[in-house]
Amino acid sequence: MSAYLAFAQSGFLTQLAYRNEVWANLFGKLVQVFARVAIWTAIYGGAGVIGGVSLEEMVTYALLGGAVTGAARYETVVGGIGHALRTGDVAVWLLKPVHFPLYVIASEVGRALYRFTFLVVPTVIFVALFYGMLPPASFFHGAMFVAYWVLALAIFFLIAALFGLVAFWLLTSFSLEWLMQALLNLLAGQLIPFWFFPEPLGAIARQLPFAWIVYYPSAVWLGRLSPEECLAQFGIGLGWAAALAFGVWLLWRRASGRVVVQGG
Amino acid sequence: MVEVIEVRSVSKTYQQPKRFPGVLGALKSLVTPEYTEVKAVADVSFGIRKGEAVGYLGPNGAGKSTMIKMMTGILVPTSGSVSVLGCTPHERRMEIARRIGVVFGQRSQLWWDLPVADSFELHRRIYDIPAARYADNLRRFAELLELEPFLDRAVRQLSLGQRMRAEIVMALLHDPQILFLDEPTIGLDVVAKDAVRRFLAEVNRERGITIILTTHDLQDIETICPRLIMVDHARLVFDGELGRLRSALGSARRLTLEFTTDPGPLPLTTAVLTADDGLLKHYRIERDDVSLVDVLTEVGPGREIKDIALEEPNIEEVIRTFYQRRNTAVPA
Repeated sequence: MSAYLAFAQSGFLTQLAYRNEVWANLFGKLVQVFARVAIWTAIYGGAGVIGGVSLEEMVTYALLGGAVTGAARYETVVGGIGHALRTGDVAVWLLKPVHFPLYVIASEVGRALYRFTFLVVPTVIFVALFYGMLPPASFFHGAMFVAYWVLALAIFFLIAALFGLVAFWLLTSFSLEWLMQALLNLLAGQLIPFWFFPEPLGAIARQLPFAWIVYYPSAVWLGRLSPEECLAQFGIGLGWAAALAFGVWLLWRRASGRVVVQGG
Repeated sequence: MVEVIEVRSVSKTYQQPKRFPGVLGALKSLVTPEYTEVKAVADVSFGIRKGEAVGYLGPNGAGKSTMIKMMTGILVPTSGSVSVLGCTPHERRMEIARRIGVVFGQRSQLWWDLPVADSFELHRRIYDIPAARYADNLRRFAELLELEPFLDRAVRQLSLGQRMRAEIVMALLHDPQILFLDEPTIGLDVVAKDAVRRFLAEVNRERGITIILTTHDLQDIETICPRLIMVDHARLVFDGELGRLRSALGSARRLTLEFTTDPGPLPLTTAVLTADDGLLKHYRIERDDVSLVDVLTEVGPGREIKDIALEEPNIEEVIRTFYQRRNTAVPA
């Protein structure tokens, strides 16, 4: 366990070494978030409430939506695992008493925490000053949001690792990165919250693991889930995380087993 | 002495998908793939005792890296058995990993973006090395290989020679019982090669760490490894001491005599004249029992010799002779 903490720590510190990037990234993030908020403001066009959702709620949703996806990068996980398997660099990792996908995830978690602290939080505060942002619906909802955020990060990285492992069989991780982005945009609720989805698409999207990355954390903050629902959905999310972790473990065993038997 | 590695009639065959030309060919290999078998290692057996230093030598594609990979547990043999420290490596990979060190000349195990010292620290955390032991090892190895000047520098800024020294130190930090090196001196300049060789020889001697190294560079073997295993076309062709190989092949020594005045053609019975440049005459001494004194006695007094140079057969020649003889002896 100490080793994985060390990987996360080192991921955090390496990011710190590229301080100059912070300003460029911060600017990029700001433009992105302003654009998202501007789109919703334009759509509402003076109407106070659409489909039972107020503009203020929508702006808050747009800001919270980046809490995980703005900090965490799936590319490094998908690309890192896929690349190591294809080039045979994975051999080096098979020589160490370490679980390779877990290593990739741990170091990316470190980098995500760095971006969250130095990019996401400042951006959200800055934009919130302009457009206003709703506080969590209650203390309970606020606390649950933190738990959901951690779960969101875990699900996000486990899905990315799964995609990276699939790349071993498909021999290209590029298309998988595109697919992952498309799925995130649509099924995580990053572009449009599920309550604007036509049924039954909305109902289906609520059941898929992507929903726990953006939709559920934001919905919890806004108080659109009752406390009982908050706990129940959290349990289901944990179930998804466990299933994904099992999938990663299984695929890793098969992929690394194939490298070991066939020599990559 | 205890055998730390036992390799018994090990073979490794790779399945390579056959490729057919054209679109139809690509379709064919997709629907009904056919494979050609490539034998990388064929029926190789040897044992290595604790504390030995063994050079594993062979031309490109002779199956050296494949053998290293099977001994470290990242490849499974097609047939035969490998035993390292009493275990089958690929079945107990994690456990073996803690007890061996591996260095790949062509693949870095250091973290590219991090200073060398940070890579070492991560290594300490991965292997749970006790703090005192770690500090002690790091101090000793860093001193021997002169790492201090660049410990704080990021790995990507290091020269190849510096990087390789760091790789070797890292592989030793967790006190492995066996150190595997796959072409550790490849691409290094003479000074760096020399530093690496002296260090490995010392680690082997002082700490009793068993060393197995593959190489193209015969000088590596000469300085580090008393024992030599040679492979060619996947098969083991020689296993024994370098000296034995040399005497078995009886490679000739080369003698150059420089005279003050040209003695004219000077054939000898103790040595064969190979080139005659007047003042400078080149001989080959083919028999081991002929000494320099014998040759000079035969040259006789009255001819003034300005300079004498006697060259021992170098290992490259020994091995070249070996492979040449093999290839002519065994019809392909």
